Amino acid sequence: MKNSWTGGESACLDSPEDGLAVAVHRREAGAFERLVERYESSLYNYAHGILQNTFDAQEVVQDAMVRAHRALTRQYDEERCATLALRPWLFRTTRNLCLNRRRSKTRELERPLHEFDDNRLGPFVGGAHSDLERREETELLRRALSILPVEARELITLRFMEEMSYGDIAKTVGTSEAALRGKVFRSLKLLRDALEKKGVAHAV
Amino acid sequence: MRCRNVLTRIDALRTNELAAGEAQEVHEHLGKCHDCEESLNDVVALARSVRSIAIKPPKSMRASLTATDRFDVVDAGGRPIFVAFSNRGLRMIHTGSSEEEFRTMYGERFGRELVRGALPERLRRQVAAAVEGEGVDRPVVDLEGSEFEQTVLGILTRIPRGEVRTYSWVAQQAGRPKAVRAVGNICARNVVPFVVPCHRVVPAGGGVGNYAFGSEVKRALLEREGVPVDELEEMAGKGIRFIGSRTTHIFCFPTCRDARRIRGDNRVAFHDEEEATKKGFRPCKRCQPAAA
Repeated sequence: MKNSWTGGESACLDSPEDGLAVAVHRREAGAFERLVERYESSLYNYAHGILQNTFDAQEVVQDAMVRAHRALTRQYDEERCATLALRPWLFRTTRNLCLNRRRSKTRELERPLHEFDDNRLGPFVGGAHSDLERREETELLRRALSILPVEARELITLRFMEEMSYGDIAKTVGTSEAALRGKVFRSLKLLRDALEKKGVAHAV
Repeated sequence: MRCRNVLTRIDALRTNELAAGEAQEVHEHLGKCHDCEESLNDVVALARSVRSIAIKPPKSMRASLTATDRFDVVDAGGRPIFVAFSNRGLRMIHTGSSEEEFRTMYGERFGRELVRGALPERLRRQVAAAVEGEGVDRPVVDLEGSEFEQTVLGILTRIPRGEVRTYSWVAQQAGRPKAVRAVGNICARNVVPFVVPCHRVVPAGGGVGNYAFGSEVKRALLEREGVPVDELEEMAGKGIRFIGSRTTHIFCFPTCRDARRIRGDNRVAFHDEEEATKKGFRPCKRCQPAAA
């Protein structure tokens, strides 16, 4: 299952791909534009989640789109396009480019997620606030997220910003759904700890 | 089911991604365990907060992703020249191939399709001038590539018609004297030959060097521009890199237009910069040979 882009479990959260990959393969007018329109924001946000840099994120998305176009129109045959899980495939492409880029930059010291233990998550930011409070909260949340290990940032982006299903995330990052559930929870916990250290533990 | 197992499942429960049996077990646990129930609320609140901080790409990104590039065919003395361009300038030039080959080449390089369009007059004049071997002072190009690549291409456009420079000189001018190979690669990758005159860069050791369309084409191009290729090769064979003038005590690249005005009996040949400076010669300000 790990690296299979074809078939697999059906996603419950994700919109159907309605043959978009095939349309791009056949070079139908406007098909690639539709693909860009549908995914550019998500991919950009994801790349930014990993790289924490707007310039790099933009370059990665551009590169990913060029590669996607090349693969769909030239490298894959129609059958492969028809069975392709387009969304996780695009995210995976973006992810690989992000990680390449990170690798070529300075290596950050980051603890892998499995070093943290599970326990209760604790209360989290939420509820009704004034505009000012919300803006501060947003800023704090962004900062807290930025100091998390890249793996945690990535999973939080995919799961909570992109609302991707566990099935699709598993395909994107190449892991099992069961392992993923643990990782997502630990990522949340790290985020929660990061916020607490900054004194933003709002009681719900 | 224990707390630990429940906690890692509450987010999947939130979006109905658990198998029926598992969901049932988690529900049962949540009914009994206050801590876990609270965690579920936390996750729901968190999901909402985090979603609100997703960021959007700059508006300009869409345009660059979906831009339709166009192409046109320009006639150059009976030979078709394929020219790809965008609203921002020339993107690719290729000679003597079929339309299909050109489009494939373009797609492979840039991952985009080309549609037929009319080349704007300004760009057409630049292509015509470039193909004729005239210099294009300010080429309007829309090129992709790293900062270094852009710098190098910019330097190439400033090499005058009828003159040549070495790869090492370009590397030096670009601020990375050791990147001689990189300069060679950038020249080889040049998608707008003629307009960005990569053919005016030659190896320091003599000869005209490689060219995308073959060394013979490069040699012919340079000869047509007035570069005395044979003479240069002869000099390179003797290890002569610079020419100086006894009257001005200035030394130049052999193809510098100032060097070529030096009369026979006033000409001095130098093997390197050191030899020239020792004899009291200073580098020419126009061709800047000291940076070679």
